[in-house]
Amino acid sequence: MNKILAIAKREFASYFHSWIGVLTGVMFLLISGVFFVVLVLNYVKISMNPQQFGLSNFSGISQTQFVFGSFFTNLNVLLLFMVPILTMRSFAEERRQETLEILFTYPLSDFEIVIGKQLGIIWFFEVLMLPLLGYMAVFYWIGGQFDWGPTLLGFLGFWFLGMAYLAAGVFISTLTKHPVVSALGTFSILVLFWIFEWVAGITDGIWGRIFSELSPLDHYKNFSVGILSLQDLVYFLFFFFYFLFLTLRSIETRHWKTS
Amino acid sequence: MSASHSDSLIRFESISKKYGNFQALQNVSFEIREGEIVGFLGPNGAGKTTALRILAGFFPPSSGRVFIRGLDLFKYPHEAKRALGYLPESVNLYPDMKVGEYLRFVAKLKGVPSREQKLHVQNKMELCGLTEVERRLIGRLSKGYRQRVGIAQALISEPSVLVLDEPTTGLDPQQITQIRELIRAIGHHRAVILSTHILPEVSMLCNRVLMIHQGKILASGTVGELEAFLKDREVIHMMIKERAHMEIALRLLRSFPGIEDLKATETSRKEISISFETTCDEDLRLKISKLLVENDISLIEIQRVPLTLEDIFLGLLKQGKFAQRSGGHV
Repeated sequence: MNKILAIAKREFASYFHSWIGVLTGVMFLLISGVFFVVLVLNYVKISMNPQQFGLSNFSGISQTQFVFGSFFTNLNVLLLFMVPILTMRSFAEERRQETLEILFTYPLSDFEIVIGKQLGIIWFFEVLMLPLLGYMAVFYWIGGQFDWGPTLLGFLGFWFLGMAYLAAGVFISTLTKHPVVSALGTFSILVLFWIFEWVAGITDGIWGRIFSELSPLDHYKNFSVGILSLQDLVYFLFFFFYFLFLTLRSIETRHWKTS
Repeated sequence: MSASHSDSLIRFESISKKYGNFQALQNVSFEIREGEIVGFLGPNGAGKTTALRILAGFFPPSSGRVFIRGLDLFKYPHEAKRALGYLPESVNLYPDMKVGEYLRFVAKLKGVPSREQKLHVQNKMELCGLTEVERRLIGRLSKGYRQRVGIAQALISEPSVLVLDEPTTGLDPQQITQIRELIRAIGHHRAVILSTHILPEVSMLCNRVLMIHQGKILASGTVGELEAFLKDREVIHMMIKERAHMEIALRLLRSFPGIEDLKATETSRKEISISFETTCDEDLRLKISKLLVENDISLIEIQRVPLTLEDIFLGLLKQGKFAQRSGGHV
């Protein structure tokens, strides 16, 4: 356990040693801030004169739902860009710099290395999520009617979605020596998953159901509207551990591959 | 885990390694005892790095077994790796970490008890002369210092087996001397194996040599033993003054039995340098000088050159020697 924590700490600290980590953090906060402000202003504008926007009874729409529901939906698009950058260095960079070689000769199991790295990356993601609590404070402070359940579930869903995406990104990162290739590969995979939701929306019957069940966004949506279901939890845990397993298998290939 | 291997710290047992169709190592076996510094010698691509990576537990061999202190490295990797320090060929350490911070990180990963970590790292930094750069980023250190950090990380947790892959490559002469002294100092009470393609390094540092070529061990023994093995061959260098005499001199030399590899080149001072190998046991210099003087050739220099490891190596690579050797005591 100490070894896992040591690896996680190093991974976490490495984000603060590079401009990439810091820049990603700044961009995330900046863009999420813009989302939040725009959503709040939109709500204010619509609520002034609902009829103008074709709404007869605006009071039926929950403020929390309008602002935070949309907020978390928008954030998942941000993840598509953020996750490839956060994970591209995990293994690809270490393979490029050949720092991984020494690690494999220490008394460590592959599992300790992979889980340690994954943990460090998740810590950094969580640190990025912390300031989002500030938006809740602001919302409360400007007099929003606050519905705790859906908002906290939105956070939880975002956390699960982030973990799942990060696990996929780390896996892609083990496949190449080039961080840029890793980032592009991760982005492609995530866009593919993103398309599942869209396909599910335009397909009927059993195929629509299948794509909907496979789509991380369809499972994530339940969280942001305040529904916590076992199905969605199982989905994200499976997603996470499946990619963790693939990562383990992937770094084992050093046993027979040339480099 | 029988008691029979307890005296050898490293035991490589008929190791073969294949990458696809490429046979990198072929039935390689050797043992290294405590206190030995063994040089692993071979041209680039001979399989040195592959063998050392297997020894360091980086990847398993296709067949064969490795024992570290009598423990099967791939059956008990955790226990065996604890006794192992490895310096890779290209010493790549996290450039964004500070020296002290990095070594403490390594101490944690190698399972040094947390109470002892600080002192342990302190000791290793002193041993490797790193105390004054403790707070510097590894990425900003010179190559020589980085090499020392590499050796320090290998030494963490007091391994009894050290595996050093080309420890002096890419350093300047002064750094090379320092690193060699360091290796000599840490070699006591340990088994050290270091790979190199610099032959003089082996005679300077190692008590034993393993020569490897195309994935096979060509020869093994002390530097003296290997020299003795090729004692019947020697190289004679000579210089003559006049270019016009070259043809006559070469003709005369060819008349001696057992002269091989006759080469003549003109030096910058318009003198002719001639060198050849001989398998003859007697000293040919007297006969040669006498003969040349009798033929009015101005001989200005003649010397017998002691065999270097390089010559031994080239000698071993020659087909005949190799065949003679491969069944020998490896």
